Amino acid sequence: MEINIRYFGQFREFTGKREETLEVGQGITVEEIREHVRGIYPKIAAKEEVLVAVNGNFGPLDQVIEESDEVAFFPPVSGG
Amino acid sequence: MIKIQGKDIDIEGILDSVKSPASGGVVTFLGTVRDNAKGRSVAKMSIEVYEAMAVTELEAIRSEALEKFGVHEVAVVHRYGELEVGDNIVFIAVAAGHREEAFKACKYVIDELKQRVPIWKKEMTPEGEFWVEGEKHE
Repeated sequence: MEINIRYFGQFREFTGKREETLEVGQGITVEEIREHVRGIYPKIAAKEEVLVAVNGNFGPLDQVIEESDEVAFFPPVSGG
Repeated sequence: MIKIQGKDIDIEGILDSVKSPASGGVVTFLGTVRDNAKGRSVAKMSIEVYEAMAVTELEAIRSEALEKFGVHEVAVVHRYGELEVGDNIVFIAVAAGHREEAFKACKYVIDELKQRVPIWKKEMTPEGEFWVEGEKHE
């Protein structure tokens, strides 16, 4: 299935993309998609902390991602 | 009131919106662009926001502050885009019956914002551009 990934902050610069569509297997979890993206982008892989939000929420690592979900990747936040 | 916006913050307007006859005071926090960071001079700042999620998280933090501290009203406005030294970044206003809970709630909101709300700052310095490192999560 295809899922839509968005990148923010430094990860947007690491990937050179605001978003992209990735082909992944059915039933992929948050943890698995994180490893998948780390495998594509060494600079993300080198980061100690990679945050993943699904539809704007921090879910459990074993949450299964659906095709219609919006998945966002970003580093620790630094607003305020 | 929760807002994410590019334009400057209407501080007077927000103060008016949180005040009420039952409130004995308003505690505020105003974050601004500092001209230095980690020994480097900062010329400008760029702020990026994941807007939909940021609004949801700020609404949640506002609700938590209202419930935990029993304050009357909480407003948070955060800016994005290109900012200059001295520009306003974030404004928090908490109205409460008494000052103690208002100070506590205001600190809670800014501390949680810095931990949870998907916003990233990048500093432009003479030595180059640097993303501000967020705090690690346990």
